[in-house]
Amino acid sequence: MLLNIFLKEIKDCFRDRRTLLLTVLLPVIMMTGLTFFYENMISDNGDEKYRLAVSESMNQDLKGIFTGFKNIDLVEAADPEAALEDGKAEAALLLGKSFSSQISTGEKAKVTIVGDTSSQKSSVLSSMVQTALSVYEKSIIAQRMQANGSDPSLVEPLEIQQREMADQNENTTLLAMLIPLILSIAIGIGSSPAAADLFAGEKERKTMEALLITPVKRSTLLFSKWLTIATVGTVTGIVTLAVVVVEIQMLTEHLKKALSFGDQTFTIIGLAVLVSVIYAMFNASLLMLASIFGKTVKEAQSYSTPVLMLAMFPAMGLSSKGINELSFQHFAIPIMNLFSLLKELVFGIVDYQHILIALTSNLICMIVLFIIGRMMFLKDKWVMN
Amino acid sequence: MIEIHEVTKKFQDKKKFVTALKHVTFTVKEGQVVGLLGENGAGKTTLLRTIATLLTPTEGMVTVAGFDTMKNSNEVKKRIGVLFGGETGLYDRLTARENLEYFASLYGLSKHETKVRIDDLSRMFGMRDYLNRRVGGFSKGMRQKVAIARTLIHNPEIILFDEPTTGLDITSSNVFRQLVHQLKREGKTIIFSSHIMEEVSMLCDSVAMMHKGELVYQGNLESLYKTEGSRDLNYIFMSKLVRGNEHYAS
Repeated sequence: MLLNIFLKEIKDCFRDRRTLLLTVLLPVIMMTGLTFFYENMISDNGDEKYRLAVSESMNQDLKGIFTGFKNIDLVEAADPEAALEDGKAEAALLLGKSFSSQISTGEKAKVTIVGDTSSQKSSVLSSMVQTALSVYEKSIIAQRMQANGSDPSLVEPLEIQQREMADQNENTTLLAMLIPLILSIAIGIGSSPAAADLFAGEKERKTMEALLITPVKRSTLLFSKWLTIATVGTVTGIVTLAVVVVEIQMLTEHLKKALSFGDQTFTIIGLAVLVSVIYAMFNASLLMLASIFGKTVKEAQSYSTPVLMLAMFPAMGLSSKGINELSFQHFAIPIMNLFSLLKELVFGIVDYQHILIALTSNLICMIVLFIIGRMMFLKDKWVMN
Repeated sequence: MIEIHEVTKKFQDKKKFVTALKHVTFTVKEGQVVGLLGENGAGKTTLLRTIATLLTPTEGMVTVAGFDTMKNSNEVKKRIGVLFGGETGLYDRLTARENLEYFASLYGLSKHETKVRIDDLSRMFGMRDYLNRRVGGFSKGMRQKVAIARTLIHNPEIILFDEPTTGLDITSSNVFRQLVHQLKREGKTIIFSSHIMEEVSMLCDSVAMMHKGELVYQGNLESLYKTEGSRDLNYIFMSKLVRGNEHYAS
């Protein structure tokens, strides 16, 4: 009986163009956009050119400060600040009038970097100029100390090296946040039309009454409808992940390297699918309740919007956390555990204990939500308009 | 046989209770066709829903074929077919055949039984041409025929029709009337609510008249005509309502 109802609901759902578009097309578009955006971002980091406006009177020695920075192009202008305002450069370097003479006489020389913090390019360039000036500053200090007969290493007691933990880099971190966010949104949006249709829609069209007068237990009806919503969500999740994997493997070069899992590739993909299935099931329980509450499809969709918004909060909370900072609660709280687990998986970490915590907590929440749904579904008030 | 005993149904509307049925008692014998008459809001649909196990009576009890609708609802559901008026309760994205197959499976019919039943019903209602088309594109008359076929798919012994000819054209209404005649010949027990008095006097053995949730009359049509001294059911119905209102006013 359950199988009959489930198969009919699936057939009905996938004949709905809206469901079909949101289940297949939406993840393809979202994930394709994300993949190419990040591929371009990663490849641009090395090749992108930045224009720095400098004074026409700047001498060759000073221009030499930027020799090591191949992606900084110097734009000479009578007024560097005006050149910046005109959009001819992303930042401007303003030197004091007697800059060269002050340096040679050992005085303090004034230098100003003008940039625009709202522009990413300008911020990157300003930071590069600051690094170049810092190197130049150190060379001046060394020259002045040598001239005074002192050892320049006295003012450099530390040799600081900085490197990222394991293979963790900025691009992987961003992907670890964005993949679960898009996955959760795709699963939510993909399964919400089906959810709204299966309860509120049936009440609105009066097919619910026709179902309720058949000798099928209400619990069977409820479970098969929940299973349908979860299946639609799972299909959306798998399509989303498949698009990511296929596009990264076949269409990208840099992302392929950033997300290289070696021997663990299939384990990680399998676990990512498992995590998506768990989330789709949890999401189906929430959407089921929203749909039982709604008297019409429109009303059910209004209730399900905040449910879909819930996925945004863990993304915000976890964006500042490193993978080594994730603790029990990050894996125990539903929705948040999707983000935490996928974050780990993107970094190539497989922790079965964390997966078990997430699985158990989601299962408990699903059972509670299902009991609430069943209690509502047994009452005339919630099944008939 | 359907036995309705002292049934009261109250609905909670915000903080107030609305009484839709007040101590309704009547019996429908096996093979009888009963017309349920009443104005809008008289309680006809609530009564039919209560018999169909969709609503639980606040007080009283209903038995269908000897089964209590509250204690043995599944046994009742197996024996009744219900068609509610206005909405046909069909799935637009499924074909007429798929709709019928789905409901047949819910009633536990085998594939062979389903096929035979669909063949019989589609022949009876002239649905063969559009049996494999999706219901979404059907006219109201076509939908109503499929809905009636769905109601009868498990060959129920008791059938409840709630304003079944509402919105139907003359041809479809006639098809429905012929169907009721045929079902009557087959010995089915039928209750149907209607606003069309000619239809009721043509098809029914007896009538039940409802007014503001109360049963104001139940009995044989011929006896009613004799008592009222008229064969105009419309006139009798209106005079019963006037008497009912006077009773409320006093």
